[in-house]
Amino acid sequence: MNHLDWSVLLGEAGHLLAQGAVVTLELSALSLVLALVLGFLMGVLRWSAAGPLKPVCWLYVEFLRNTPPLVQILFWYFSATVILPNSVLLALRPYGFPFVAATFALGLYHSGFIAEIVRGGLNAIPRGQYEAAEAIGFSLPQTVRYILLPQLLRIIAPTLVSEAVSLIKNTSLALAIGVTEITYQARYIDYSAFRGVEALAAITVFYLVLCATVAALGHALQRRLSRNRRRLA
Amino acid sequence: MNWHLVLSPDNVRRLLIGDFPGPLGGVALTLVLSLLAMALATLLGLLIGYLRFAGNRPLRLMAAGYVELLRNIPLLVLVFWAYFAPPYFGYEPSKFVSVLVALVMFNAAYIAEVVRSGLLSVSVGQVEAARALGLSPFQQALYILLPIAGFNTVPAMTGRYITLLKGTSLAFLIGLSEVTEIGRQINNRLLVAPVEVYATLLVIYFCLNRSISAGMRLLEDRRRFNRLFCRFAR
Repeated sequence: MNHLDWSVLLGEAGHLLAQGAVVTLELSALSLVLALVLGFLMGVLRWSAAGPLKPVCWLYVEFLRNTPPLVQILFWYFSATVILPNSVLLALRPYGFPFVAATFALGLYHSGFIAEIVRGGLNAIPRGQYEAAEAIGFSLPQTVRYILLPQLLRIIAPTLVSEAVSLIKNTSLALAIGVTEITYQARYIDYSAFRGVEALAAITVFYLVLCATVAALGHALQRRLSRNRRRLA
Repeated sequence: MNWHLVLSPDNVRRLLIGDFPGPLGGVALTLVLSLLAMALATLLGLLIGYLRFAGNRPLRLMAAGYVELLRNIPLLVLVFWAYFAPPYFGYEPSKFVSVLVALVMFNAAYIAEVVRSGLLSVSVGQVEAARALGLSPFQQALYILLPIAGFNTVPAMTGRYITLLKGTSLAFLIGLSEVTEIGRQINNRLLVAPVEVYATLLVIYFCLNRSISAGMRLLEDRRRFNRLFCRFAR
């Protein structure tokens, strides 16, 4: 058995892991933004949809939620060359095509979950709240700003935070299409320098710290959103 | 479209059973891996969840530490630990065992949380009544906690089982020939039909997961459960 040598993490391997960490953070942030935007949109749509739009929204959410994120990443990566016109592919090239595909796939995958969270949150707001807003003559934007959003965010914040943590963890799957995020670098270090255990330990700590930080920030946000609760009640 | 190339009889057979009667693969291997991992993860999750609920202080802390540790690292990192790390210590695990261990350990942490919340949902009066009747702690767990908490947690468990089945797709990253790996091989050989190949995989997983939901829905309602599975129990 070869002995563990933690000093490798200070040299070339550490440099690769640091580069990977940056890619992981970028990928997480961008796909989280995409997931939030798409998720809120689809959540509101699924909540209010009627007629032929209803099964479409159902299929969107259920298909995204019931298929593996890894296969979705592969699907979008390999299909993009067929689906997208060449001009778009060329325009995306400077950003690194695998990175764009992974961002899109992860954002889309988690938007399915966020849509369900948003819909659940909207369903949890009592009907009387809208009726009261209407009774005191609030306009639609006012109702959304002062009645809907504060309650919705308070209700969905905890689930949204755990979804964000889950998204960060799923960015590791992007290595399947060659995105050089931190798990990719750890595997590379295992293949090239036979320092797999040290690299794996390093990225385990990285993910632990990152996810715990996001969870802690989430809790702080949640407290902030709930601070007016008692006064209103 | 090149559906006829993707869905040739040979490809369909490989997607379903791999190279059986050689090594089993495809959907069959995905199912074997999932069902085995579900059973083991449920057992481990029950144990850890129960310890976190009813253990003494050190046991509770250990269970909580396990859950927090495992929930904050990606499943893929766990798969790599189970596959790349043992050779450094002179042990070569099979791919199947590596993935199985990673899936069980990862999902047990989530199932433990489901179990704990289920146990917390049993009202104190039920447990007090059981104690007043002189039931042993084991009898309390078996006859009072398990049935009440069990039915309460069915919807949450459905979600965990679906996540677990989705997680089996990671096995292809270390070369285990479950259905995603077979799909990748077919794609590499054809090269002209990526949309069709991966769409097929997505539909396969969608059907498998909807079947889990449908199966679990049979367990959701206690009266229907008794009607279906305990006809002679009284």
